[in-house]
Amino acid sequence: MALQLNLLHEQFSEQRQRQRDPLKLGIYALVGFGALLFLWYGWNAYQTIQIRSQLNAAQAEWEKVEPKVTAAQKRADELGKIIDSTKILDGLIDQRFYWAPLLGKLAACVAPNIQIVGFEGNASESGDAATLMIEGVSAAREPRAAAEDFRQAFSETLMKNYTEVKVAFRNLEDLDTLATLAGVPTPTAHFVLNVSFNPKPPEPGAASAETPKPEVTTK
Amino acid sequence: MTKIKKMSKDEIQKIVLSALGFIALIYCYFTFFLGPLNRSRETMAKTIADTQAKTASSKTEMKKTENLERQAKEATTRYAALRATTAEGAPIAWFPPKMRNFFAAQGIDKAGVRLESSGPFKQPELTDWVRDVWTVDLPLSDYDTLGQAIAKLENTEPLLAVQKIVIRAVPEDPQFQQVSLTAQTALFAQ
Repeated sequence: MALQLNLLHEQFSEQRQRQRDPLKLGIYALVGFGALLFLWYGWNAYQTIQIRSQLNAAQAEWEKVEPKVTAAQKRADELGKIIDSTKILDGLIDQRFYWAPLLGKLAACVAPNIQIVGFEGNASESGDAATLMIEGVSAAREPRAAAEDFRQAFSETLMKNYTEVKVAFRNLEDLDTLATLAGVPTPTAHFVLNVSFNPKPPEPGAASAETPKPEVTTK
Repeated sequence: MTKIKKMSKDEIQKIVLSALGFIALIYCYFTFFLGPLNRSRETMAKTIADTQAKTASSKTEMKKTENLERQAKEATTRYAALRATTAEGAPIAWFPPKMRNFFAAQGIDKAGVRLESSGPFKQPELTDWVRDVWTVDLPLSDYDTLGQAIAKLENTEPLLAVQKIVIRAVPEDPQFQQVSLTAQTALFAQ
C-alpha cells in the first residue's frame, strides 16, 4: 500500500475554511431568498396592475353613466313633484263647490209670491260644508204659510242633491205693508232662512231610505 | 455545541451580521414593498366593487326613471295645462282685467276685482303655487245672467273656487242685484 502524504494540508484547510465562510453562505442565502421575494413581489405587482386596469375600466364606465344618472335622478324628482302636485291640484278642483247649480235650484223653488232680497253663501275650503242665509218676503193670504212652503220646497230640492241638509227659519214675522199681487193687496211676511248642507251627493239607496213616504189619509 | 465552540469569533460575528441583514431584508420587504402593494390592491378591489355596485344601481335607476316618464305622461300633460292657466307677470296685473273682461263678455259690466290675500298653500306639494283670494264686486246684474256667468266661470277656470257669494237686491230696481264673490285661485309662482 502506497503511502499518501498531503503536503498541501494547510492550503486545503484554508480553502475549506473559505468555502464554509458563514458570511459568504449567508450572502448566498440572502440573495436566493431575496430573489424569491422579488419574484413574489413581481407576481403581486402584476396582479395589482391588472386590478388597476379593471378599476380604470369601471371608473370610465361610471364616468359615462354618472351624468345620465344625475339627469335621471333630477328628472325623477321633477316627475314625482309633478305627479304629487297634479294630485293635490286635482283634489282642489274636485273639492270645489259649484254655485251655479245651487242658484238654479233656488230660482226654481221661488214661487211668484216669494221675493228673495238677500242671499249669502259660504263654502268651506275643504268642500265638505256649505252654509246659506236667505232673506226674503212672502206674500199671500197666509204669508207665513207661503214662506213655509218655500222652505219645504227648497229643503226637498237640496236633499235630492246634497246630504246633511238643514233648512230652518232664523226669523219669520208679519209685515204691516201690503203687496199688490195680481192687482189684489196681499199681506206680507219677512223671513230669514239658515241653510246648511254637505255638498257630497247622497247615495242612491240612502236617499230613498231617508225620505219619509207621504202619508195617505182617507176620509 | 461542539461545532459552535469550534467557530471562531469572526465567524460568529459574520453569522450575527447575516441574521441582522436577513431580518432587515424581511422588514423592508413587508413594510415598504409588499405591504403597500397589497393595501393598494385591496383598496382598488373595494373601489371596483363600490363603483360596479354604483353603476348597476344607476342603470336600475335610469330604467325606473324611463318607466316613470311613461307613467307620468298624463300627469305631465295635465300639469302643463294647469300651469298654462297662469299668465305671465304678477297676478295683480293680469287677473283683475281678465275677470273684468270675462264678466263684461257675460253681460255684467263694471266688475271690480281686488286682491284680498296672497300666500302659500299649506300642502308641501304646492310650494310652486300661490294661493290668492280675490273679491269680485258686480254692481248690477240680473239673477239669470249672474247664474250663467258663474257657471261659465266655474267650468272655464278649474283652479278658481268661489268660496263666498253675497247677493243683495238693488232697492231702486228689484229686478237687479248687487253681487260680491270671494274666490280663491291657485296660481303658478313665477
